[in-house]
Amino acid sequence: MVLPLLIGVVFVTFMLVRVGGLDPVGLLAGPTATAEEFTMIRKDLGLDQPLWKQFLIYGGQVIQGDLGESWLSNRPVLEDITTRSFISLELLFWGIGLGAAIGIPVGLRAAFKPNGRFDQVTRIISLLGFSIPTYWLGLVMLFVFFYLLGWAPPGMGRISLMVSPPQFVTGSYLIDGLIEANWEAANSALTHLILPVLCLAIVSAAPIIKQTRAIALEVIASDTVRYARACGLKIKTLRAIVFRNSATPIITFVGTEITGLVGTMSLIEYVFAWGGLGQYGLNAIVRGDFTAVQGYVLTLALFSVLIFLIVDIVVAIIEPRSQLN
Amino acid sequence: MPPSVTHQLTWPRRTANRVRGLSRLSPTAAAGVVIIVCFGVLALFSEWFMTHDPVSSYPDRILQGPSYEHWFGTDGNGMDIFSRVIYGAKFGFGIAIPAVIIAVLIGIPVGLIAGYRGGALDEILMRIFDGLRVFPSIILALAVVAATGQSLLNVVLVLGFLDSPVFARLVRAEVLALRSSNFVESAIAAGNPTWRILFFHLLPNTIQGAMAQTAVRAAWAVRISATLAFLGIGIQAPTPEWGAMIRQGAEFMVTGQWWVAIFPGIALIFLVFGLNLLGDGIQDILDPRRRASK
Repeated sequence: MVLPLLIGVVFVTFMLVRVGGLDPVGLLAGPTATAEEFTMIRKDLGLDQPLWKQFLIYGGQVIQGDLGESWLSNRPVLEDITTRSFISLELLFWGIGLGAAIGIPVGLRAAFKPNGRFDQVTRIISLLGFSIPTYWLGLVMLFVFFYLLGWAPPGMGRISLMVSPPQFVTGSYLIDGLIEANWEAANSALTHLILPVLCLAIVSAAPIIKQTRAIALEVIASDTVRYARACGLKIKTLRAIVFRNSATPIITFVGTEITGLVGTMSLIEYVFAWGGLGQYGLNAIVRGDFTAVQGYVLTLALFSVLIFLIVDIVVAIIEPRSQLN
Repeated sequence: MPPSVTHQLTWPRRTANRVRGLSRLSPTAAAGVVIIVCFGVLALFSEWFMTHDPVSSYPDRILQGPSYEHWFGTDGNGMDIFSRVIYGAKFGFGIAIPAVIIAVLIGIPVGLIAGYRGGALDEILMRIFDGLRVFPSIILALAVVAATGQSLLNVVLVLGFLDSPVFARLVRAEVLALRSSNFVESAIAAGNPTWRILFFHLLPNTIQGAMAQTAVRAAWAVRISATLAFLGIGIQAPTPEWGAMIRQGAEFMVTGQWWVAIFPGIALIFLVFGLNLLGDGIQDILDPRRRASK
């Protein structure tokens, strides 16, 4: 199942550059290049080969971990992406963690009293969360908390320039700072984290609320819960049963949501100058640096596939029944 | 030619049916309709509402806050933000409506054929759609627009194309369920050609779910097109498009000139919110499972 998916992913990334008929040769050769230089660069890049051969070459390079060099900076793309991935993971982890920590209980509570006041209010709020452009929310937060109130640092990077970052252990400045007992670094990292994490959490909580509510409603209507209710179990026990039975579909949903949230996170990084993979990728797209774009898009897709696999494993652990299929 | 008698008789009834259909919408969905209609009026008749020309600059009034003369203030070029926000509604609709139409026109036939024919074609298409789902839609849209050329037309085409799998999937699932039903088999037995079965027998019975998605997908298209403009891809800066205006205002947010980015953002939220409210209401009507069960 995974192998054809991976081939498809590599194919889409490969086509991304070919589909527009972009010509890297002109970019690399510069305005003064002669016709011979042009053909030489074409040959160098393998652009004189037929399309299917180019795809095989590209696929082979990807398998070997060679994502090529940036058209603009000539730096190897893989290296840039690995260092920046850790920076992004920190934001993604806290953002989705907080989003799920808010979204799941709220969604469950809304489902316990459908069409009650709490349900109505959260429904409007979650639809609003669907509608707010992430980057605009980030800008508004910067305006309120940095400019007006002065509580937050300016949206530039993940640690103050005056503080030396802690040594690399997990890639998260906050956790590394705590491990090192470097309170100054940890504190600075935390203050830089709060706004972007809040932004990502708000955006990710909206769909989680909506979907959790829908899942829990279906579970509440199921025979299991109706029987439990008929037995006269306490409301607390009933809620525990609903929660246990909703867990699998909720985890699956949050897993699939991560794909989209990685895109959202890129925009947050862009606004807060976070310096992670997302900002790198968006800058590459804006500048037309297409080897970097390919590497970025491929990394995001592979990350999604990895998340799907992890979700499958987690589901198999908490729900052994699903292994039978 | 005078209008025929039957026509005169039927139209009030048809209108009555439509009104009854609308009254099934929940109050929140009706609020969505009101918001969309308001923006539609702004988009169609923006000339009536604009107080200034949206692209002419007043060099002596750069970055002025909201005032009696400029209700939403002026931006870094000295252009009137209120008029630009009003004009921006044209882009919201002008991109979303054709994008959704393209997505429907591609997605529905593909879904019909894939579901009806089945076999290798269906398998390959579904694999491709599965593969596309692994990519964050916003990043894919950005990258494809950047790669294929940055024009407004291209933004519309790419959004429509990337969104078509949503409709194809929905229709395909419905077709699969109906493929071997009696009415389809009798249509085949009666000697209808395949295209007739697809478009006259299956299409009317499978299109409902897809149509219910259009409002939500339009909301998606408005959001994504604004995001593209925010990054300066597809739509460039002086254009009075909301995302492009937020981009212009981004740098002023940390220096205190909030009005440049806030107002286009609020307009964008309202339109997307209205479309989402409507979409949510339609889904509730069509999908009884989503209605709260007692």
